[in-house]
Amino acid sequence: MKFSKLILKNILRNKLRTLLTISSLVVSLFLIVTLATVLTEFSRGSEQSNPLRLITRHAVSLGFTIPVAHQQKIATVPGVRSVIPFSWFGGIYKDERNFFANFAVDADKLREVMPELKMSDAEWQAFINDRQGAIVGQKLVKLYGFTHGQRITLKSPIYDRSVEFIVRGVCTGGDEKTLFFHHEYINELVPEWAKDQVSTFSILANSAEDVPRIAQQVDSIFINTDAPTKTESERDFAISFETMMGSVKQFMYGIMAAITFSLLLVMANTMAMTVRERTREVGMLKALGFQRGTIASLFIGEALLVTTIGALVGIGGAMILFTSIDLSLYFPNFQMFLPTANTVLAALALSVLVGLISVAYSAYRVSGMTIADALRSTE
Amino acid sequence: MALPLKYNLRNIVVRKSSTFATAFTIGLTVAVFLMVMALAHGIDLTLASSGEPLNVIVLREGSTAELNSSVSRENLNELIYLDGVAREADKPLAAPETITLIYKPRKGMSQGSNVTVRGIGPMSHRLRSGFQLVNGRMFQPGLTEAIVSKRIAERFQGLEIGDKFRVQTTDYTVVGLFDAGGKAFESEIWLDVNSLASATNRPTFSSVLLRAVDATALNALSKRISDDQRLHLKALSEQAFYEAQQGAASTALKGVAVFISFIMAVGAGFAGMNTMYAAVARRTKEIGTLRVLGFSRISILISFVVECLVIAMLGVAIGVLLALPLNFVSTGTANWATFSEIAFNFRVTPALVLVAAIFGAAIGFLGSLLPAIRASRFKIVDALRA
Repeated sequence: MKFSKLILKNILRNKLRTLLTISSLVVSLFLIVTLATVLTEFSRGSEQSNPLRLITRHAVSLGFTIPVAHQQKIATVPGVRSVIPFSWFGGIYKDERNFFANFAVDADKLREVMPELKMSDAEWQAFINDRQGAIVGQKLVKLYGFTHGQRITLKSPIYDRSVEFIVRGVCTGGDEKTLFFHHEYINELVPEWAKDQVSTFSILANSAEDVPRIAQQVDSIFINTDAPTKTESERDFAISFETMMGSVKQFMYGIMAAITFSLLLVMANTMAMTVRERTREVGMLKALGFQRGTIASLFIGEALLVTTIGALVGIGGAMILFTSIDLSLYFPNFQMFLPTANTVLAALALSVLVGLISVAYSAYRVSGMTIADALRSTE
Repeated sequence: MALPLKYNLRNIVVRKSSTFATAFTIGLTVAVFLMVMALAHGIDLTLASSGEPLNVIVLREGSTAELNSSVSRENLNELIYLDGVAREADKPLAAPETITLIYKPRKGMSQGSNVTVRGIGPMSHRLRSGFQLVNGRMFQPGLTEAIVSKRIAERFQGLEIGDKFRVQTTDYTVVGLFDAGGKAFESEIWLDVNSLASATNRPTFSSVLLRAVDATALNALSKRISDDQRLHLKALSEQAFYEAQQGAASTALKGVAVFISFIMAVGAGFAGMNTMYAAVARRTKEIGTLRVLGFSRISILISFVVECLVIAMLGVAIGVLLALPLNFVSTGTANWATFSEIAFNFRVTPALVLVAAIFGAAIGFLGSLLPAIRASRFKIVDALRA
């Protein structure tokens, strides 16, 4: 610690270089944190899934629908607490760019199956009592200014229908860019082929141990019907969507690795220049009796201080930016856009590591020179 | 008078490690830019090449994709006899088609993606150039047989010749593998349209593909069908249909490429500046000497910019070398318009490489400008005394 003043002085010796290096660190770490946050959002569906929930869809694919009559049969499977239709409507609000998810559900059981949805009792009651009613997530309110009692028309290209709903509540929790409405209501309006059909069911199990057995049992009921089903935990269902993206995740890890490596190069270059320029000084320090370890730690301390400042500004900047602007509003499927604690810690650890590695060779080389060699340096 | 390039090259060689670190930083930026752009480019090329210039695709009015469209059998009979539909040996070049999706796990994974199954009419492959069976044989319309694109068979489990897959309660046997010259159909499974209709219990078709006799007929035909109030159908050129699909995914990717590489370029630019400032500081005396020898301020400035541009070009070369192995590597992702798998290749084209080179040069130029200006501003006496 007694050398901290010396380290600080050294950093301020070439202010421009320090500033440029830190700036480079700042933008790189900002980018790493941003990409890591995108990755978190990609896997949020599976990470934050409810372990008690299952999803049933048609065995062939989501392109096929299943009869709503399956609901009664699923409800009889032991361990099933509740089951509701959870049917993708694909409705578009005014313009295709306004994409948000909208599902047809059983209004009276939605609260039980999706306890993460928070809304006042009065709003739940108003929603349940109005067949034409709909509830919207808080973020849809921010985006489109929906208010209680407002009439919203959604046009579904899947069903070739425009349907009007009345907003009866604003909920928080879960994906707040979702709209829910009554399956009963929509069922009367859809074309003949889609009557009494749903795309998926959402099942709530009594306990997590029941989940695998329920999945098997549900599928075995329908295996020889016209509409065989595939039932899986909500987590697996979410993973199936994440796998659809293909190798996007690996690709992003690759980009992050490239950024980290260039970060290392920038830092190593700076430290190499710094150390080289001070070779003669090292000779002087050695002549004064400073140990090799002390000299090396002076350089290591310098590198660590620079990377830490860069990291704090870069990561902090990302935190401030993403807290003040909620980017998730503008990206479909993103529930939030905030770096997690893990992301922040990992980015910090990464920058410390970069600091250590970048200076290791230069510090080792220069601190190992003989006094004569160091003093004779022409740098 | 300009300084000889050799002066810069020697300086670059003397500071090997510093040059290399800077060039590699620029190289990584260029590589990331190239890779993401190559991905977007691959999607663009696949979808843009998929539509035939004289084909018209007929969909339900208001539908956005084949998956949510339907065309009835009565409509089909009206459509194929319209004026302007090309004929081959007196048969109209028209094909009713039906689309459905089946969920298949990817190879080596328990989860996968939706694969498009296309029920095709007898004329379908005549309407698509580039179609070629590469293995096995064509399916027989009366039997529950199917052919699978080679790329899909490579990427998903259980779709090789001899394997069976299920649509509703019907099991289809794969009897052949096909190739479609890099078009979107290379992400599909093909089987008989009538067989698929009975398997899925849907009597209607998803779309009807028509070949127009010429470009004028194509426009007239599309207008005739879209304007007919009784039909409730819309017709558009197949090219326009596929071009509309590339939108979301590739635009998003290009945005990502620009965003990431811009930020990385800022970082690389700062690093370049650092290297050049150090070079200028180290060579202060040298610069003074050069000035004494009669080299002007401007030639000093140009010399340092050129030196950094050489480093940047080295970086571009590294970047291109890093990205090039990805060229033609096959990958796939969900087509955001249809939620089905679309297989395509990374495409690093010469045009893309040129853009990357300009991008790299810009980083080098902007990174060297300020240090070069400082170098050119030294007073001769001060520089010599340094």
